[in-house]
Amino acid sequence: MDAAFRVEVETLASILDHLDYFQILELEPGATYRDIKIAYHRKSRIFHPDRFLGHADGDFVAKVLAIHKRITEAYTVLRDEQSRRQYEERISGPERELHLRWTLQQEEPPAAEEGIGTTEKGRKLYGAALAELAAGRLEAAERNLKMALVFEPNNPHYARKAEEVARLRRASLLAGSLSST
Amino acid sequence: MSDAIAVGIDLGTSNSCVSVVTPSGRPLVIPNEWGETVHASVVGFLEGGAVLVGNEAKRRMADDPRNTVSSAKRIIGRYFFSEEVRRARERMPYEIVEGPNHSVRIKIRDQLYTVPEISALVLKEMKELASTHLSREVTHAVITCPAYFNDNQRQATRDAGRLAGLEVLRIINEPTAAALAYGYGKGLSQKVAVYDLGGGTFDISILELGDDVYEVLSTAGDTYLGGDDFDARIVDYLVARFRDRTGIDLRRNTWCMHRLKEAAEQAKILLSTEEVADVVVERICKDPSGKVLDLRDRITRQQFVTMVLDLVQRTFKVCDEALQAARLTASEIDAVVLVGGSTRVPIVREGVAHYFGKEPLGDIDPDHVVAVGAAIHAASLMGKEAGTVLLDVTPLPLRVATVGGFTEVVLEKNTPIPIERSKIFTTSRDGQEKVRIEVLQGESALAAECESLGSFEFSGFRKANRGEVEIEVVFEIDNNGIVNVTARDRETGKQAHTTLRLSSGLSAEEIEEKARRIQGVRLARGTG
Repeated sequence: MDAAFRVEVETLASILDHLDYFQILELEPGATYRDIKIAYHRKSRIFHPDRFLGHADGDFVAKVLAIHKRITEAYTVLRDEQSRRQYEERISGPERELHLRWTLQQEEPPAAEEGIGTTEKGRKLYGAALAELAAGRLEAAERNLKMALVFEPNNPHYARKAEEVARLRRASLLAGSLSST
Repeated sequence: MSDAIAVGIDLGTSNSCVSVVTPSGRPLVIPNEWGETVHASVVGFLEGGAVLVGNEAKRRMADDPRNTVSSAKRIIGRYFFSEEVRRARERMPYEIVEGPNHSVRIKIRDQLYTVPEISALVLKEMKELASTHLSREVTHAVITCPAYFNDNQRQATRDAGRLAGLEVLRIINEPTAAALAYGYGKGLSQKVAVYDLGGGTFDISILELGDDVYEVLSTAGDTYLGGDDFDARIVDYLVARFRDRTGIDLRRNTWCMHRLKEAAEQAKILLSTEEVADVVVERICKDPSGKVLDLRDRITRQQFVTMVLDLVQRTFKVCDEALQAARLTASEIDAVVLVGGSTRVPIVREGVAHYFGKEPLGDIDPDHVVAVGAAIHAASLMGKEAGTVLLDVTPLPLRVATVGGFTEVVLEKNTPIPIERSKIFTTSRDGQEKVRIEVLQGESALAAECESLGSFEFSGFRKANRGEVEIEVVFEIDNNGIVNVTARDRETGKQAHTTLRLSSGLSAEEIEEKARRIQGVRLARGTG
């Protein structure tokens, strides 16, 4: 293997966490969908781990894989207009360093987590509220959450969800009144 | 490694096939000693301990249905309580029982086998006939699976390869393999649809082929739709007509049903070339007076079309979904590649031609194309070919369970692989020591309707007040489409300990133990 390529992999792997997705794919800020796709193909040709399967140096192969995964990640986020817009906003803000990678925030506590509710009634009502929410019945969801808060007035998950549902309901009421006029 | 021989194996529901790229760079479909290139994925356990695999085992299935395992792929990587396993228990003459952790075992002559072991015996047959033909021990393989297989099914397929004594270079998707075979050496720049209707599953993949990069744009499928369903429609028809004539319900006898299924499959094959198929099953049963009855019936192609039309139409609903995800219309597709024996059925070909507005390609044998593609990829992974870069996608959304039986998506379906995505969890109690996360795959927002991949428990991060510890959980899908999950404390960077709680997969020790068993099995040679 080419010594220059080895150096490229070592360097890139060491600075990977400090690059944004445009830098990873070597794209200009205004890159089009087509540009993004071409860059993804070009980079994959160079860094696809299949090219190094069975290579003796495991550490080197792991670095190639890490680079290729980041290339794929960059492509996935940038090719979608909505996520690209959000990403561009995040990386041009003051907390740029924290947002170089697309990371999901926990929206709901994990299911197997204890301590979501301290009372059985509260948990049940919360579960029912989520079911109503998923079915699009906002009013019923809000009612269930208010009941859940009666049993556990200080539960932050319930309160946060109740606020969110109330907001959704106001928005839908507004949309309804606009369309009826 | 460079002088080892790597083959491509299409491990199908009904049939399997093995191929290799010869030193001259030409893909060769490897025949067995009788010249057969397509081998039934049927495993017959003979008296005395030898095992017969392939077409001979299929021919002898009626004589020893309880000790002959067919269609194991339908239940590989499935939980015992799944719909697939329930159906198999109803339909299959061999005994399916529950193993530890909701896993499936097949009971043959008081011996229990895991499903990967059964598939391993098919792979062992492929390995041995390739080794015989090439006069060299075959050690490495690329094995294919339906694009729509979930993580459990992929892991089980990989385990089967290991049990058969193969180094599994890669698990690749059947449609992707077919596209490789189609584009091999042609230097194409096209958008291609691969329509794969096998015995048990339907897959559609849309690919963009460039010079040396093949990108899968989308994939969709139906794991409950295949040629077997066509056969079942014919069986339904024959059973109903026989009942009307004689008052006898053939469904009560598994032996009768088995013979009827064979006859139905033959009729279906005949109707691919003929307008009329006569079905004759001699001595199928006795009437109440003890008189031996034959089943004699006739099916026209038009009748057959009526029976299966809704099944064929169902495939186009799935095609709609795949095209939409690829942001293309049917008319933008440059070529359609057919895969799977069921695409020989004329109504399927006609339907495909009509849907895409162009004739599907007919130059590659739909029974060979997947194995050939796998062989090409195997050669490329061994560094023997310049190689095409394959960029595949994950077929199903990856999810985590949340409260109330719901789930949240971590990675959408049709996301390119290999990829990682992290998700930040915070502790919700003071001094919390553990976080448990259930990982699932499936289309539904309801956990109960998704396939559970396992429940991971993370521990070993520092103790602090509620909300202070941020745990970054990284979900990775590798090049085989297999999911890995790790976690670390975001502040300290300390890796958390992980334990996998629910999993029907085999442990490393089990693989080692069962590999010895499979490698000790003597494969019987048939009579051709």
